[in-house]
Amino acid sequence: MKKVSTGSRFCSPGVCRNATLVLLTGGLAVTAAAQTYLPREPGSTANTWDKPAPDTPIPSYYRDSYQAYLKMKAAAHGGTQYLRTSYEKMPDWSGIWTRAASEGLKFDPKQTSKGFTPGPTTADLTPRYKAALQEKLRQVAAGNEWDQLSDCLPAGYPRWLTEPFLREFIVTPSETWWVNEQQSEARRIYTDGRGHIPDAEAQPLWDGDSIGFWDGQTLVVHTIRVTHGEYQRSQPDYSSQTSTVERIHQLDHDTIEDEVTVWDPKGLRTPWHVVMHYKRVNTAGSRIDMWSCETNNNVVRTPTGGSQFILKGETVTIQRSYKEPDTFYLTEAQKKLFAEDDALDAAKK
Amino acid sequence: MNKILIICCLTALTGAALAHHSAAMFDLSKTVTVHGTVKEFQYTNPHSWLQVLVVGSDGKAVEWGFETEGPSTLLRVGIKAKTFLPGDKVSIVANPMRDGRPAGAWISATKADGTVYNLRPNRPAAAAR
Repeated sequence: MKKVSTGSRFCSPGVCRNATLVLLTGGLAVTAAAQTYLPREPGSTANTWDKPAPDTPIPSYYRDSYQAYLKMKAAAHGGTQYLRTSYEKMPDWSGIWTRAASEGLKFDPKQTSKGFTPGPTTADLTPRYKAALQEKLRQVAAGNEWDQLSDCLPAGYPRWLTEPFLREFIVTPSETWWVNEQQSEARRIYTDGRGHIPDAEAQPLWDGDSIGFWDGQTLVVHTIRVTHGEYQRSQPDYSSQTSTVERIHQLDHDTIEDEVTVWDPKGLRTPWHVVMHYKRVNTAGSRIDMWSCETNNNVVRTPTGGSQFILKGETVTIQRSYKEPDTFYLTEAQKKLFAEDDALDAAKK
Repeated sequence: MNKILIICCLTALTGAALAHHSAAMFDLSKTVTVHGTVKEFQYTNPHSWLQVLVVGSDGKAVEWGFETEGPSTLLRVGIKAKTFLPGDKVSIVANPMRDGRPAGAWISATKADGTVYNLRPNRPAAAAR
């Protein structure tokens, strides 16, 4: 039986930063960083240089989700170990899949809706995020809605879970790729025993930093380091401190289920538990190809923050300012919300 | 006899509708039906567009654009890259633009042979007449 430590693996942002400074000012950055990695294991396809140790500390705002994940891992006796030699025992999730159409674009399929109008969110939002959602819905009702996809940016995780279109699972013993054809956006879930990216090297990532283990035929995933965003259009926003635990398994020949629990100390008062489904696509000729968003993207943002087309034959003059990489695609309300998050964190230090 | 093809076994397009951008530019409470000739079919991501020349009462042709989802989603309702060729006669049902420009969110298409492609198949087919 493999022992799983549930000891302290967290660092506050300040502590993590101090550790970084020690490494850098000591002039030993390369050597010290190399010590955090494990040697490549036989059969692993993973890059040795990108394999943080299992007990790599992560910021304290991920504590609850990580402890839930470690508890599941302990209950699974450290997880089912698959090797190349036992590949045939792994789940066969080959084929083409797509989000269950009955679940629409909602993050929680249980959320009600009336026509195109969503009902109340099932998320237990903090007051600031609840107010932000209400303002968003007011703006949508007024015709002012902007989607970062219209800037040809990725959906980003966890919104990524809600996107329609074709999906594939590429399952190997050391990592699983879960691909959505939209923007050719692929999540990489490492199951080779590695820990999360060290804080000194980490930054928000569109699809986060995902590690996982197999509990028999169920893939259990812990994801941190996401970028701020929204769960979907007309859905709540989430902060960059969001983390999730997923349990992904096949229900029947044509259905894969993802049981997702979301923690967000900024946006959620209590974890948000949702269950999503993905259905097998049996249409002949279905194949995932490279998705180039700019091919005929003629959507532009209006001065009031809405979305509009440039139709064929039309020419418009667009005023565009410098793109701040982390915020240019956000709505003004999102910019304000996430700036408040940063200010609150700064005030704590 | 007109051939009617209504593909109704999938509900893919409803969930996927306008997944790359807001639908606020369309008036989803209204539908329009136009009859015209295909000029171009952009069968691509992020959105496919069917460009149709529509001759008005003044005898002048106006180019309309009808937007829908990309190839993989259209394939599931039977629409392929060469389903609509330049010169084909079509009738289109769509949600019009709020600002009155000649475009819309594509709901269904009826070809000259009577074939109907319903792009929102979990709803009653909106065959153009």
